[in-house]
Amino acid sequence: MTDHLTQSAAAPPAAIPQADGNLSCPHCGAEVAPQEAFCEACGGALTPTAAGSTGQPDEMAAPIEITRSIKTEDEETVVVARPCANCGGVIGADGYCETCGTKAPTERDHYTEQPALWVAACCDVGVRHHRNEDATAVAAEPTPRSRAVLVVCDGVSTSLDSDVASLAAARRARDVLVAHRPAGLGTPASRVAAITGAVVKAAAEANAAVIENTAPGSDNAASCTFAAAVVEADLVVFGNVGDSRVYWIPDAGSSGNPTELSVDDSVAQARIAMGVPRAEAETGPQAHAITKWLGRDSPDFVPRTGSIGVTSPGWVLVCSDGLWNYASEATALQSLVTELSTPDADPLALAVALVDWAKSRGGKDNISVALARL
Amino acid sequence: MAEFTAEVYQNEFLPEGGTDVNAIVTMTCSGAGSAGQTGSGDAGEIIIVDTSGSMGRIKLEAAKVAAAAAVDQIIDGTWFAVVAGTHQAYLAFPLVRAGKGMVQMDSNARYAAHQAISQFRADGGTAMGTWLALAGRLFDSVPGLAQRHAILLTDGENHNETPEQLTNAIRGVTGKFQCDCRGVGVDWQVAEVRRIAQALLGSVDIIPEPDQMGQVFAELMQQSMSRGVADAQLRVWAPQGAQVLFVRQVSPTVEDLTSRRVEVNPLTGGYPTGSWGDESRDYHVSVRLAAKGLGQEQLAARVQLAVGDQVVVQSLVKAKWSDDEGLTTRINPEVAHYTGQTELAEAIQEGLAAKAAGDDETATMKLGRAVQLAAETGNEEATTRLRKVVDIDDSETGTVRLKRAVDKVDEMALDTASTKTTRIRG
Repeated sequence: MTDHLTQSAAAPPAAIPQADGNLSCPHCGAEVAPQEAFCEACGGALTPTAAGSTGQPDEMAAPIEITRSIKTEDEETVVVARPCANCGGVIGADGYCETCGTKAPTERDHYTEQPALWVAACCDVGVRHHRNEDATAVAAEPTPRSRAVLVVCDGVSTSLDSDVASLAAARRARDVLVAHRPAGLGTPASRVAAITGAVVKAAAEANAAVIENTAPGSDNAASCTFAAAVVEADLVVFGNVGDSRVYWIPDAGSSGNPTELSVDDSVAQARIAMGVPRAEAETGPQAHAITKWLGRDSPDFVPRTGSIGVTSPGWVLVCSDGLWNYASEATALQSLVTELSTPDADPLALAVALVDWAKSRGGKDNISVALARL
Repeated sequence: MAEFTAEVYQNEFLPEGGTDVNAIVTMTCSGAGSAGQTGSGDAGEIIIVDTSGSMGRIKLEAAKVAAAAAVDQIIDGTWFAVVAGTHQAYLAFPLVRAGKGMVQMDSNARYAAHQAISQFRADGGTAMGTWLALAGRLFDSVPGLAQRHAILLTDGENHNETPEQLTNAIRGVTGKFQCDCRGVGVDWQVAEVRRIAQALLGSVDIIPEPDQMGQVFAELMQQSMSRGVADAQLRVWAPQGAQVLFVRQVSPTVEDLTSRRVEVNPLTGGYPTGSWGDESRDYHVSVRLAAKGLGQEQLAARVQLAVGDQVVVQSLVKAKWSDDEGLTTRINPEVAHYTGQTELAEAIQEGLAAKAAGDDETATMKLGRAVQLAAETGNEEATTRLRKVVDIDDSETGTVRLKRAVDKVDEMALDTASTKTTRIRG
C-alpha cells in the first residue's frame, strides 16, 4: 500500500467537470453522476457537487455530509468535521486521529441526514462488520407533518458491491417518491392508491438502480432489501421487499398500539406464519435468509404495500435488521423509543441514540434508522 | 526532484488482547540527483588516510592511489579536503592554517590535491579520534554545507588513544557528517571501527589486499556523489499511550536506530538516516498498544520520511482486533524474514566475539544458529562467509564445528559483513 502525502491535503477533492459536461471522479477518473457521493468504480468519496442538475429542490437532493444542518434553498450547507469519538482530538487527513490513532468512520461508515426538523436518519456500519452495506435516504418538507419520504436499503453481505447497490437504490427510490406529488385527487382512497403506486414504482426504479450501478455477470449479483414510508399529513403509506421494516410507534400513553406495519420477506417470517414463536424463528437457522430482494437475480421485486391513518402523536420508524435484531417486537421498540427520545422529540437525537443502543448490544450488523415525527 | 515512496508490509490483525504490532516499511528514493547539484546547498567531502608507521611502503603507496582515485570522483563545485592521520591529524590539502579548511573542486584544486597526496609519508601512531575531530572542525569552517561525508581508511588499532577518548570524539562529531570506514589488512579492530561507522551513519568493511583500495575508494566516493538528497529523517508517530519498542533499519544493513531518537513532537520521534541516492531501504518498526475490543481498528504508527523539515512521504501501520484465527496467526513474510536477518547478524557477532575470547562452546552454538538462520532465510552470502570459519555438518539443525585454522581475513570479513541483509522480494 503506497501513500503519498501532498501539501494540499486539506480539502477533499471534488468531482472534476469534463469538457462534455459529465463529471469525473477525482481519484480514478471514472465518470460519475452529479448526485453521487461515492465513485462506483473506486469507492472514493466525492464532495458535494453542484446540486440542481436533477431539477429537484435542494433539501431533497442534498449529498451525504458528516453533520447536516437544516437548510432551505438559500442557505449554505454547513459541514462540521467531527472530533475523534475516542479522545476528542483532531482527525488527520488519512482518516485516523492524530492523538490516539482511532480510525474515524468514513462518511460511508457513518452518516446522518436531517432534511427538516421533524425527520432524520442515521446509518452506521455497526461493530462487527468492516463495510457499511446499509443505506438510508430521506427527504421532507419543512412544515412538520406535511410530507416526508423515508427509505432504507440493506445490502446483502454475500453479494459483491452491495454497499454500492444499497446506496444507489435508496437514493433512487427517494428521488422517485419525492418527485411524485399527487395533486387534484378526489377521494382519500384514490390518494392512497396513487401513493401506493408510487411506492411500487420506486421499488422498481430502485431495482433498476441496483442493476445499473453494479457489475453484470458475476455469480453473486449485488442485492439489497427495500423499505419505504411516505408520510402525507395523517396518512402513512409503506412498502417493503426483504427484511427491512416499517413500524408505527405511538407515544406511550396515547391511543393506538405500536405496530410492525411491514411484513418481512424472509424464512423467519414464513416460519412465524406457520406458528413458530417469533423469538425462536428469528434466531433459528437461516433466520436472515430473505425470500425477496432487489437485484439482477431478483425473482420478484414488487413490494408488499399498505397504509394507515395516524391520529395520535408518535414516530414512523423505518429500520434495517441491524436494529430490530435486538428489539423485534413493536412493543419492545416502543419501550426503547420512550426511553431514548428527548423531551423535544428530536428525530436526529433519537436516531443516533437507537444506533448507539444497537451497537451497545453487540452491533453485529450494519444499522439504519429513519424517523419521522408525527 | 527526489521522489519518495513508502510501502508497508504487516499483518494488521491482532487477536483479542494482542498489543504488539510489527511492520516492515520500505522507503524508496528515485530521482535523487547528484550531491550538491540539486540546489539545496553544497556538498562537502573529506578523505582521511591513515599514514601511521604501520602502513609501510606498500600499503601507503596503495593508499595514495586510493585517495587519488577518490579525489577524481569528486564533482566540480564540491568542497573537499584531505587529512593525513597518525597520532595527530594533519590537514594535507588545502594547505591553509586559518579560515576555510576546504576548497571547492575544480581542475586546479584537483591537480594540487594529487600533489599533496603524493607527499604522504608513513610515520607515527594511530589516534582516530583526532582525525574525526579535525574533520568536524573542517566541515564547521565552511558554513552552509547541506551534505557532509568522509571516507576513513585505517590499517591498525587505535593505540594512541583510550577508548574513552575515541568515544568522546565520536560523540563530538555525531550528526556533523557521515563517514564510511574501511580497514586494510587484518591488524585493525572491527568492533572499534564499527563504532565510528555506526554513529556516523556509514558502512564498515575490510579491504583484504592493498591493491583493492583504489577501486573501493572510487566506488565509495561515486556512491556519495550520487546521493542528491542531503539529509532525510525517519519519523515515527505513535498514538498517545503507545510505546515504540524499536526502530531498526534492516536493509541493506541492520542498524538499530532506537537509541538515536530525537523528539519532533510529543508523539513523534525522528531518527537520522543520512543522505540518500536512488535507493531503497527497509525499516522494521515495532509498537506496543493498549488492546482494544474486537472489531476495532486503530493506527499503530505513522512512518514518515522528512527532508529538511518537510514530510515527503507517509505510510500507515494499522491494528485491527479480530477473533478470526486464520487472520491473526499469520506472520507477514517480510517481518519474519527481517526478524530472522537481525537475529542472524547478532548470532554472527556474538559467535565471533565468543571465539575471540576463547569460549569455543558459545561460539559453536552461536555460529551454528547463524548457519541455520542463513540457510532458512536464503542468505547465500552469509553462508559462504560462515563456511570459511566453521565446518557445516548440518545447516538445518545448525550443527557446526569451528575450524582449527581460520584465516584472520575470513573472520574479519564475516564480522564486517554480518550486518548485511538480503531481501525476499520475488
